[in-house]
Amino acid sequence: MSTLLLKTWSHYLRLTTQWPSIGTIVPFIPLIVAWWIVTALQVFPPAFLPGPADVVRSFGTLVYTGVLPEYLQDSVVRLIVGSFWGIMLGIPLGLLVGLSQRVHKALWPLLMFFQAIGDIAWLPILVIWFGYGLVTMTVVIVYTVIFPVILNTVLGVRSIPINMHRAALSLGASRTRMLWEVVLPGALPNIMTGLRNGLGYGWRALIATEIIVGTSGIGFLMFDARRAGSVVEILLGMIILGTLWYIVDSWILAPIERATGQRWGLVTK
Amino acid sequence: MKSLTIRNLSKTYFDVHAGANVTAVRDLSLEVPAGEFVSIVGPSGCGKTTLLNMIAGFIPHTGGEILVGGRPVKGPGPDRGVVFQSWALFPWRTVLDNVAFGPKMRGVGRAEREKIAHDYLALAKLSEAAGRYPNELSGGMQQRVGVVRALANEPDVLLMDEPFASVDAQTRMTLQEELTRIWEQKRPTVIFITHDVAEAVFLGNRVVALSKGRVLEEITVDLPRPRVWDDLNKDDRFKALTARVLQLVRSA
Repeated sequence: MSTLLLKTWSHYLRLTTQWPSIGTIVPFIPLIVAWWIVTALQVFPPAFLPGPADVVRSFGTLVYTGVLPEYLQDSVVRLIVGSFWGIMLGIPLGLLVGLSQRVHKALWPLLMFFQAIGDIAWLPILVIWFGYGLVTMTVVIVYTVIFPVILNTVLGVRSIPINMHRAALSLGASRTRMLWEVVLPGALPNIMTGLRNGLGYGWRALIATEIIVGTSGIGFLMFDARRAGSVVEILLGMIILGTLWYIVDSWILAPIERATGQRWGLVTK
Repeated sequence: MKSLTIRNLSKTYFDVHAGANVTAVRDLSLEVPAGEFVSIVGPSGCGKTTLLNMIAGFIPHTGGEILVGGRPVKGPGPDRGVVFQSWALFPWRTVLDNVAFGPKMRGVGRAEREKIAHDYLALAKLSEAAGRYPNELSGGMQQRVGVVRALANEPDVLLMDEPFASVDAQTRMTLQEELTRIWEQKRPTVIFITHDVAEAVFLGNRVVALSKGRVLEEITVDLPRPRVWDDLNKDDRFKALTARVLQLVRSA
């Protein structure tokens, strides 16, 4: 019996090394099966907990009517715009704080103070200032993304060994070249950690914001469904959130990490 | 290649933990003609690394002067190549790009600097590692890259800070033999810091014994080259010189 299990396991390992996407899907199978059994046995009324088939059907309808593609696009665009500014502002600011004692002294207490005011905590005042629009959402996402990016960039800059700077200087690197050749690549593994955290928080903040102030988007879809009492669409929204994040992580973030920090031996695999 | 002149050099700094001024180097003078290989030995805390860091321009000196080819040292620069004990290779660059780094900073074009790097890698028998990243190499190979990277920038003076202290004994002997071979070919001016007396004698034209921040004694090493361990281990003059330096260092 145990040898059979072991054999199956080794087959599975070989299969997943050949087709990694199988390894992504398989862990979800028991979960979906359990969900299906619970709903098929009607432990809860269908209006409370619809089954996988209902969710798939609802997915089909929402795609067909064009609601889902539009909402999905709205959410993703908001995340991209917000993250873009969060990264463009966060990395240079992090480098500056990491490199300069003076800037560090001047900005650190402010960073700590504002980091503590959670993204959602800004919503009441942002709605008064900017209304229920893209500006409010962008500000919330930028705000969420920027702190993990700054703090991790600072950490990355500061963890570069002093001899790395010295080696570059004694090989003739100027101060500006140092930034490109030593500081940025040296801090990159930490910057990636910051991005991963930042984007993850940003994604969650976006959904929360859409629930509160949205007029479209996945968060709005879910909240709107609650108003209509449609549990199917709420579940669908949750599944989309998880799937989308998985795609961002495994198609964008993980490959970058494999090509940089892991390849250089700065991050363990 | 240029000469190195150190006149009445001193370094005093405030030690926060001791709460007092500490003198790491005091009134130290040393003359190194162009193309000479000088080993500096001394016990821990004798100021040898501080001395090297001042020559490299990594830390300022508080008295006296350091001249490279007659020009005073003000901060780090490519005229003084440094080989670090911890290698300090750039992990994000391949071996080839590490070695080509100095020429790149000088503005040498890609094809030209890669040719330079390949030539120097061949000199240290590293050609096959050119495309690999430092973390994929053994300690001994990483240090070879460290030496070659500094040499490829053709510095006036090569500063080496206990570069072979953290590799195993067999690899160390190979590296020492390779270094003397490369030195004979390129004849750079070298300051080699070590606490290993045999290593100091094996490599140097001259051994400078340091104690408490000043020069204790300078000993000329007139052993013939090329030097290899199999010969020198049987050589009475080598044994006598090593014994003398060891005695000096221990009395320090």
